Amino acid sequence: MSAELTGNGMLAAPPWRRLLRGALALPPAYAGMLVLLALAALLRPQLLSAMLLPLIARQAAPLGLAVIGQSLVMRARSIDLSSGGVIVAVSYLLTSGYFQVSDAVAMGLCVVLGLVVGVVNGVLIVQARASSMIVTLAVSMILTGIVVALSQFRAPGDAPEFLRELARLRVWGMPLPVLVWLGALLPAALLLKRTVYGRSLAAVGSNPQAAALSGLPHLRVVFIGHVASALISVLCGFILVGFVGKGSITLGQDLALNSLAAAILGGVNFGNGRGGMAGPAVAAFMLTFLFNFLTSLGLGEPGRLMLQGAIIAAAALAYSLNRR
Amino acid sequence: MTALRSGVSRTTLALPLLLFGVLALAAPNFLAPQNLANVVGQITALLIVSLGQLLVALVAGIDLSVGSVMSLAGCLVATQPDPLWGMVLALLLGLAVGIANGLGVAVAGIHPLIMTLATATFLQGLAYLVLPIPGGEVAPALRSLADGSLWGVPQPLLWCALCAALVYGLLHRSRLGLHLFAVGAQARSAQLNGVRVVGVTVAAYVGCSLLAVVAGVYLAARVASGDPTMGASFGLESVTAVALGGVQLTGGVGSILGVLTGALSLGLITNGINLFGISPFLRGALTGALLLAAVCSQRRKVVGL
Repeated sequence: MSAELTGNGMLAAPPWRRLLRGALALPPAYAGMLVLLALAALLRPQLLSAMLLPLIARQAAPLGLAVIGQSLVMRARSIDLSSGGVIVAVSYLLTSGYFQVSDAVAMGLCVVLGLVVGVVNGVLIVQARASSMIVTLAVSMILTGIVVALSQFRAPGDAPEFLRELARLRVWGMPLPVLVWLGALLPAALLLKRTVYGRSLAAVGSNPQAAALSGLPHLRVVFIGHVASALISVLCGFILVGFVGKGSITLGQDLALNSLAAAILGGVNFGNGRGGMAGPAVAAFMLTFLFNFLTSLGLGEPGRLMLQGAIIAAAALAYSLNRR
Repeated sequence: MTALRSGVSRTTLALPLLLFGVLALAAPNFLAPQNLANVVGQITALLIVSLGQLLVALVAGIDLSVGSVMSLAGCLVATQPDPLWGMVLALLLGLAVGIANGLGVAVAGIHPLIMTLATATFLQGLAYLVLPIPGGEVAPALRSLADGSLWGVPQPLLWCALCAALVYGLLHRSRLGLHLFAVGAQARSAQLNGVRVVGVTVAAYVGCSLLAVVAGVYLAARVASGDPTMGASFGLESVTAVALGGVQLTGGVGSILGVLTGALSLGLITNGINLFGISPFLRGALTGALLLAAVCSQRRKVVGL
């Protein structure tokens, strides 16, 4: 009977309860990562070796970057599922040799493409008020359709040499893509916590109407998020093309769904200010580790898809029950 | 106010007629009986699944899982030796998926796009599990239902008519139909007037999944085998057809006639692509562009999802 009254007259919970509630409020990715590491230590200890972990981190880098963009738009109650189409187009621009240009110009074209896709997404979502999910899925469909139709006439070639070099490069024992990913996290976190844009994003996400009435440029905030997300997809495309070393029309197809799952698991959800950049990053690593772990246990494509679906549903469910 | 509730306008009616006219004039083979039968066969699956999408759109929802449901239903029918048992399994699957989607949306409050995307991904995996590569064999009894003609009417047309009549009865001759419109127009008011919003929403998703199962069985019976990616494109295509037909994705407005015109337009465009010898891979790009056009013409109040 030692419960004390808090300021608003509610009974304060005992400490262990507060601790439990605090743990429940943490992104599910943290607990998931711990459980996963424990399971891996028991069943597949070789996954935790100093040789494999950096490789898994390298594999997680594109997802980790994609989830930064995804979490930006999700905070503003939007979503971006166009990364699949953008990455396929990037792969085509870089490897097909359709445009007889140097690698640097081809990469410049990719960035322009990302910019165009981001602007188109943004305009359709903000000005035409179309559903962001449908818009980005349709844009992805258009890009993929065009690339597949074009690549009938031209077999995909090799990736630019220096992208392959960069993907293989290690600095202080860490693969360069991982460093790019980790390097991007800090500015992204600062953007959320310390800048006007970050604060506007939180305001727009938690209540778009109130944000608009308060004079925040709430449409511009959503728009910028989409452009940033599309540009990040281009960067993911560069890294993926560097990894594979060849053009492919199946590259990065699951990135859109996985980034959605990772963002939700990382504690980011539609229109609430919660969740920083660390949660989604851990979730990106966790998902990649999970798929590696399950592959080592003999899980194939069907199981991977079923798991992906179940994770998205479970994370969305956990979030919506938590909100009550 | 019935004109408003149906969502059918002059443009939605004119689009398929215009396409028909253009194709009849520009493509010499278009009016050949063989090609017209082909068009009907192609449109049937899209129409059936779009009718299901209509039910969900009326309650302001969306179902992206119909494509995977179609694939899985086709795989089930193609792998079960007994056609009746295969059908029963597929329908049970549709029931389960519909209930899961409906409960996720109505009870747990998950956004329909996220919920159905999750089930779509899950079911796609399940379809690969049931039938890893295209194959299997659909029982001859079932195959004969999807091809040929009965009393001089092509069988696919009968499938269309049956499903349309079913949905018509549901929407305009039953209490549930009225409740669907009420919930879609304003869920809170409907609730206050004693409509069970949760039950109605779940019923809409169940109806949608069941129609997707029918479409999947039809498609499998038509090609006589199963394919785990058979329905993949139908998820967004059905949304496109519904949106082209003037059905408001924000709920409460839509009609069977609208869905018919939307599915017909999309089917005629596909046929045109075939007849003009355009790369079939551009079909996806064209559907995407149409989807963008249709969705952007329906300006909503909210920005985002």
